[in-house]
Amino acid sequence: MAETQTLQTPVVAARDRAEESDAPARSLWRRMEPWAFGLGSIVVLLLVWQFLPSFVPMKAGTKLFFTVPSHIAGTLWRMFATGSVWAPLGVSATAFAIGLGLAIAAGLPLGILLGRSTVLNAMFDPFITAFNATPRLVFLPLLMLWFGIGLWSKVAIVFLGALFPLLINTYEGVRNSDKLLINVVRSFGANEWDIARLVVLPNSLPFIIVGLRLAIGRAILGVVVAEFFGAQDGLGVIMVRAASGFRVDVVFAGLIIFAGLSLLMTGLVQLLEKRMSRWRPDHANAG
Amino acid sequence: MTGYIQGRNVGLTFRPPNRAPVRALGGFDIEVEEGEFLSIVGPSGCGKSTFLSILLGLIHPDSGEVLMHGRRISGPGSDRAMVFQEFGLLPWRTVQHNIELGLELKKVPKEKRRAAAARLVSLVGLTGFEAHYPHELSGGMKQRVGLARALATDPEVLLMDEPFAALDAQTRDLMQVELLRIWREAKKTVLFVTHQIDEAIYLSDRVMVMSKRPGRAKRIFAIKLPRPREYEMRVTPEFNDLKLEIWNTLKDEIAA
Repeated sequence: MAETQTLQTPVVAARDRAEESDAPARSLWRRMEPWAFGLGSIVVLLLVWQFLPSFVPMKAGTKLFFTVPSHIAGTLWRMFATGSVWAPLGVSATAFAIGLGLAIAAGLPLGILLGRSTVLNAMFDPFITAFNATPRLVFLPLLMLWFGIGLWSKVAIVFLGALFPLLINTYEGVRNSDKLLINVVRSFGANEWDIARLVVLPNSLPFIIVGLRLAIGRAILGVVVAEFFGAQDGLGVIMVRAASGFRVDVVFAGLIIFAGLSLLMTGLVQLLEKRMSRWRPDHANAG
Repeated sequence: MTGYIQGRNVGLTFRPPNRAPVRALGGFDIEVEEGEFLSIVGPSGCGKSTFLSILLGLIHPDSGEVLMHGRRISGPGSDRAMVFQEFGLLPWRTVQHNIELGLELKKVPKEKRRAAAARLVSLVGLTGFEAHYPHELSGGMKQRVGLARALATDPEVLLMDEPFAALDAQTRDLMQVELLRIWREAKKTVLFVTHQIDEAIYLSDRVMVMSKRPGRAKRIFAIKLPRPREYEMRVTPEFNDLKLEIWNTLKDEIAA
């Protein structure tokens, strides 16, 4: 035993020293590596796309369906420079915000209620399961019939899409609440509202955040599809009209705006999560 | 003629779904005097923690009754507070806000809460850690917070459910000394559930040994060792005689 140790020790020490000496350079590369590859692949893809027409001959008919990144960028620039994008973007964003807001306002309390009450859960579970199993977009014709093709049919479809991930995740979070902590606050005379406020809600927060992320995706999907199928105004309408007029660049521009919005919202949720997780061990130094 | 805390013929059967019912307590009698330190030892599952939960008002017995000041306990009240084995601190609250929990639920104004918390922080020796979160504290410090939180509402009775069981041996010894100091200063009645005979003798005025499930009071030992008690007391012959006697009463109840 002793012999093996004396033999091994110098080797280990030497390796440690070697690692120490080029540690700064290495750690910098290690941190930048995913970024470099990610960014690099995007740049390469864009370049290939941009110069594809120079290498591959296209018929006039095919060209009608094709555009290049520089053209899309120019169109995007003009949409923002002339301000023509704001009105339709505002229409879409309003439907998104109202629908998601209502879904949060309904989904969170309902999720907590169902999670805390076995009776209510037994009553509502069949409906929730059935609704959740059905793609919400099949309700669109019905909703347009009921709410017309203006703002409120969009709000309704966004609401239906965003409600269930929020409701179900909140419910799951509530079900996973720490029984000991509930007993602790009960022992200090807490009522059901205090329990929800002091233990259940903060305890379910990680679940709710996941639900919120899903809900944002569903909400954006709701806006887009509603606007594709029958609306008078909105970014989706612009895209559909552009497509029927073979303005591929405008379609791409709309797509990029929706993708950008999606990224922005996800980023905001991440920020919210970080702010609210300051007490967590793994977030202790991040906040 | 009624005592301070009285349990008469207390019985409780748990009925977990899809499993055989468990009779935790049956014919359990207890009498606690005001201001005394009473420890309860007994085999695992004998219902000693269950009794504390009944006394706290979180669960109700299905036979017999538990009285305090001659009145039946029907729910939680600010005359009783529990120190939990697994601490039960809200992880998203700082030390200060954990201690203030009970006062907050009693709707005590913010300035008063803050003053009470400050006093307790220094009583349990946590000065400088007010803004720390539970995960930044050691086990011993967490239980100091648990103790401070229980004392914050100024209860008459402190219920302690194996409060030091999750701590290492040295921290546990230190916390016992601290608890005696705090008990002397705060002048509370303490019901202390433990598995450790040493701990029970060192801390208590009386030690109750419970039978195996369904739990009853088997025998009560009066601990006549002088106070204040020093750590060295644990190696005296009197201490060891008591320990042996309690062990002999307890061992028949433990199914190995």
